[in-house]
Amino acid sequence: MEKSEHFDNLKNAMIALEKDDVVSITVKSLEVGIEPLDIIDNGLLPGLNTIGEMFENEDIFLPELMRSAQIFQGAMDLLQPKIQEMGTNIKKKGTVVIGTVKGDMHYIGKNIVKLLMETSGFDVHDLGVDVDPFAFIVKADEVNADMIALSALLTTTLIGQKDVIEALEGQGKREKYKVLLGGGSVTKAWADEIGADGYAENGYGAVKLAKSFIA
Amino acid sequence: MLDLIEVFERADNGLLILDTDYYMNRFVPKLAEIIDRYKIKWDRQTIVNSDDDLADRVFQAAVDLIAEAGAYCPDTNRVMEFTRDEIVRAAEQAPQSARFGEGREAKTMHGRNVDEDSVPWIHVGGGIYTTDEQIYLDTVEGLASINIVDSLSVPSILHLRGKDARVRSPQELLSAIKTVILAREGIRRSGRAGLPIINGISAASNSVSMIAAASPQFGLRPSDGFLIDFLSEMMVNYEALQKVAYFNSISANIGSTSTPLFGGYAGGAEGVAVLATSYFIMGNLIYRGSYHYNAPLHQNLRLSSTKPLLWAIGMSNQANARNMRYPVVNLPYLGGGAGTRMYHHEMAAYMLSVVPAGGNIFSGHPAKSVEPNSLLPRDHQFHAELGLASAKFSRKDANPLAQKFFEKYEKLIKDPTPGFRYEQVYDLKTKKIVNEEYLKIQDEVRVEFKEMGIEVLTS
Repeated sequence: MEKSEHFDNLKNAMIALEKDDVVSITVKSLEVGIEPLDIIDNGLLPGLNTIGEMFENEDIFLPELMRSAQIFQGAMDLLQPKIQEMGTNIKKKGTVVIGTVKGDMHYIGKNIVKLLMETSGFDVHDLGVDVDPFAFIVKADEVNADMIALSALLTTTLIGQKDVIEALEGQGKREKYKVLLGGGSVTKAWADEIGADGYAENGYGAVKLAKSFIA
Repeated sequence: MLDLIEVFERADNGLLILDTDYYMNRFVPKLAEIIDRYKIKWDRQTIVNSDDDLADRVFQAAVDLIAEAGAYCPDTNRVMEFTRDEIVRAAEQAPQSARFGEGREAKTMHGRNVDEDSVPWIHVGGGIYTTDEQIYLDTVEGLASINIVDSLSVPSILHLRGKDARVRSPQELLSAIKTVILAREGIRRSGRAGLPIINGISAASNSVSMIAAASPQFGLRPSDGFLIDFLSEMMVNYEALQKVAYFNSISANIGSTSTPLFGGYAGGAEGVAVLATSYFIMGNLIYRGSYHYNAPLHQNLRLSSTKPLLWAIGMSNQANARNMRYPVVNLPYLGGGAGTRMYHHEMAAYMLSVVPAGGNIFSGHPAKSVEPNSLLPRDHQFHAELGLASAKFSRKDANPLAQKFFEKYEKLIKDPTPGFRYEQVYDLKTKKIVNEEYLKIQDEVRVEFKEMGIEVLTS
């Protein structure tokens, strides 16, 4: 079987959300000597990209997106040790620290952005909801993040996004991280007012913005 | 029906499970299985369903969803489980009417049947952010002055000494009190002091602020309505249960409130229809509601006027109307800005989807509810009149007309038309409309609607 056939099969299994097939094709691909990074770049990620497009087109929804992330992780669990054995690293598009700001308990929007970013090749560190402003910075420093993504649904919690920017400025780290905003009550005017680097109205927009930061 | 303390204990004693496991291992697979079990399918063409058997299957699916997935309490990480018998009893014993208001404004909201040509309850306004106290008062007075209106949703005002209040801060609590005081004053100025506010309390995002601002000396009464929402799909937190405990203790009207997300954990149209219907039942079972705020929303576009959502929202109303008849108002998040043709077209499609389906009337929230000062009383009068015109349609007759309206704004959904702000339309001193363009659009739309087959009479 040609390499390209393995890749096509893997991509199609990802798109069909067939966990067992993804695992077996990944194992088989390794057995025939295909490099783990090739398996990721040419099989798994193209599948995830298609899944992202299907999500944007409303052909699939959040449950399928979550399932695809689980299946991808299952394949990565097989590939990661091989990559480490070879002394190479997976090249991530970028590293993102994400969370819903202090005082806000809403997380569906944030979870969608997280999943879309992960399936687009970003390394995402999710701090959950009701996150202290300094916790974003501590995590961003720890993982050497490229950007911090802040979600806020309520008008009364928007201020939590400003707090993070203010805390970054206070620590002299504002230029170190791009700050991306999202959430139900966030507007471009608000993002401009508090000096964020960008604002996205939806998950797909957030991914595009994140990619533009890395480019 | 289950004793309220027993309901609270379910949040303390159920299965201990991670929230992600609840969604991925219980809610999501169960919902998919139940949709298959009852063969619930949206045909992608219909906006207004007229298949009664399908509406009844949606209701049965909603019962099964609660029985098999349960609700989830994030404060205890436990699943709140209910037996099928407990759920069915809650549905059977749900109120079919709710009494609101005081004095000559006192009135009863009824749960309506499908294809019922009675006059629906007319609710207008929205909890939209307002930047200025004078605009706030004028907006509320203007809404309350619409003579056919039965109840109001009042906007929120979070400014205190020129600054926005922060969540859970003392300023937020004071802002919530200020919102209530200003709202009641605005209503009083209209000469209809007893008119109920049924979105109590728009500026209170936590239970402490809400309970504080509900104190009667600020102007709210048990005959108003207090909203208690589900934090996320099937998620019931302690804050919500605290509100349930308090507002039941003062015998106030509770508006159970839900925002099932299209494209979220519930998936597409079928999942949203089932989930929205489950919330009606849980509104009585867990929250002891008197009425329901049904607000399904597109998670990506942040509006409720897409074709599958219109179908799902109408379907949930039909399932309720035929099996429970809990009084429902449906909250239209619309993309078009205030005063625009798009906004009115969306409202027409929405009204035709929900009013013949057994829902009551609620005017549209423009610009996805994020543009400040965008509640224009004249828009809401028009929408109330449009709702009354929609009540004359059967579901079967409403469907082709809803399709026509949908086609008018379909291409604009991803980039909606921006609209007007209060201060661009009204003279802030005389409170009269001074924007000719605004008036012209509404006049033209009224003529257009008549030509399309729905005559909107001026009240």
